[in-house]
Amino acid sequence: MPERTFLEAIRSALIDEMTTDQRVFVLGQDVGVKGGVFLVTDGLYQQFGACRVIDMPIAEAGIVGAAIGAALHGLRPVAEIQFADYIQPAVDQIINEAAKLRYRSAGDWTCPIVVRAPFGSGIHGALYHSQSTEALFTSTPGLKVVIPATPYDAKGLLIAAIRDPDPVVFFEHKQLYRTMRGEVPDGCYTVPLGTAAVRRTGRQISLFTYGLMLHHSLTAAEQVADEGIDVEVVDLRTLYPLDRETILASVRNTSKALIVHEDNLTGGIGGEISALISEHAFEYLDAPVRRLASPDVPATAFNEALEAHFMLNADKIAHALRELAAY
Amino acid sequence: MSMQTDASLAPPPANDPALPRHRQLGLSDEQVLAALAGMQRVRNVDDRLWQLSRQGKAHFVITSAGHEAAQFGCAWAIRAGHDYSVPYYRDMALALALGQTSLDLLLHGMGKPTDPASGGRQMFGHFSSRALRIVSGSSSVGSHIVHAVGLALAFRITGEQDIAAITFFGEGATSEGAWHEGMTIAGVQQLPVVFVCENNGYAISVPAHREVPVRDVATKAAGYGMPGVIVDGTDIFAVYAAARTAMQRARSGEGPTLIECKLHRLRPHSNADDHSKYRPAAELTALAQHDPIDKLRDYAMQHGLLNVERWQAMQQQLKAEVDAATLAADQVPNPPLESLYDHLYGSAAEA
Repeated sequence: MPERTFLEAIRSALIDEMTTDQRVFVLGQDVGVKGGVFLVTDGLYQQFGACRVIDMPIAEAGIVGAAIGAALHGLRPVAEIQFADYIQPAVDQIINEAAKLRYRSAGDWTCPIVVRAPFGSGIHGALYHSQSTEALFTSTPGLKVVIPATPYDAKGLLIAAIRDPDPVVFFEHKQLYRTMRGEVPDGCYTVPLGTAAVRRTGRQISLFTYGLMLHHSLTAAEQVADEGIDVEVVDLRTLYPLDRETILASVRNTSKALIVHEDNLTGGIGGEISALISEHAFEYLDAPVRRLASPDVPATAFNEALEAHFMLNADKIAHALRELAAY
Repeated sequence: MSMQTDASLAPPPANDPALPRHRQLGLSDEQVLAALAGMQRVRNVDDRLWQLSRQGKAHFVITSAGHEAAQFGCAWAIRAGHDYSVPYYRDMALALALGQTSLDLLLHGMGKPTDPASGGRQMFGHFSSRALRIVSGSSSVGSHIVHAVGLALAFRITGEQDIAAITFFGEGATSEGAWHEGMTIAGVQQLPVVFVCENNGYAISVPAHREVPVRDVATKAAGYGMPGVIVDGTDIFAVYAAARTAMQRARSGEGPTLIECKLHRLRPHSNADDHSKYRPAAELTALAQHDPIDKLRDYAMQHGLLNVERWQAMQQQLKAEVDAATLAADQVPNPPLESLYDHLYGSAAEA
């Protein structure tokens, strides 16, 4: 099986799906001749032409709104927002329009679009090239929010998102683009939306996470394994709707839960998972549910030392695991 | 019901200045009378909804009174079920002109489960029908403009010819960012889309001079690389002529057009509004002179298409129709409560 980077896996998904389905096209800033600022769409313009790889003005509401309009005529648009930090001007289009079209027309209209956006810190992006904005969307019925962590999942989940009959916001951690490699099959395959994956089985603590933090969490789990702390690591993959069954089954088995995310502590998905566990698995718990998240400041700072202090890493996660194990 | 409403499919216009204006535009006497009846029909539904709101049976009413000629004039240039129409909340007359019925509108106004626009989910004013290609909208002002642009982009991608999208909005929407983004994309790509501004001079209570920095919205078109056209929005023939030209331009690949229809909102913004608080008394008194239904009726009588007796008979018939539709809509029971959860997500099978 060929090995691909996370970025190449996403590009492979776009190429394979555009080859298979003439309805699929991409639009966004710099996605054409330049191939995107991260080069995710590099070569697509040459392969599929200007009609299906569309360079757009700097107009996020226009990009997502145009995708919605094209979907109403039966096409399958994949819109790229250059950085998740700039998805805000398109929030009205995503939440008020795309997410509600099916419901507000009692099923007469549908809106199968994908909005891709790179997110997360660790590339010296400072306040406006580093944000985790997923929590803006994880309380929106009608929408799906997907965040892959591995190259295999990145391709399979993106193809599933394109084929999904409803709008999907698809966040890609930009630090994974070139650092993460893995086996990625040629040709189309899907990884189902709405299902979490148990990446490491364990008996003492359930760790719920997604995106880049999955890899730091797996490293941390190995670090504490030598100390006799047995951690189960669950990759959420879809943040909305959550895979409640997998979350609850895991915590009922381990009796302790740690949620790790790069998004801010307050209002991040960790609060929802904690509430879910408290409501439905309280009697199984041996410790309070613990959250480890980025501090409640706007985003990471440009200064290197502050950036490192802001970021979660394997050591910080291992520390939280030790504390929880000792409770 | 025929979905072909495009009057341009009628015999080609005879440009004989001696002919009445509708004949010059290729419109038959029957088409003019049908439009007049339609405009009166929608006014009756408008009247009825205000009554129902006072009875607690329609919780929200937003008027199209004063806008009927603009909407019917455009509808003559639209092939419903083929071209896409992306309306806003003021477009009840457009929905009816494109093929929806009085009953459809009353079901929508009373929030009934058989409301074809939304199954009773959206408040009145959110007209929709996939069969007629009337696109469902939200209540966010101006957010729908970009959907029309995206539809036009889709025609470009699929290579479909002889099809256009047309979208409607008030002058208030032209302050919105989404309007600017949509106009920009349409202009850059020269897409097959027509923008129709129904300029009634008010964004609820804020007068145009406090919300639009230029006298004519049409002049904004210059900034987006498209022509801007001003028409008297109470003159159905002027509107049709402009809309037909713009739709033909779009369908033949010549790019987008902005049409500004200048007209008057004859009633308050909605049943939650009192426009005497912000419109001068003299202006309110003068509104009666700007009623597009009176204007078309007088035209029809002047040209022998209609006489007083026939007009009275038409009005009686329309009154009976709205009464029957009200009764029918009122009798529709509420939906099962579990239906609140329907249509949230689709199934994999439909993809």
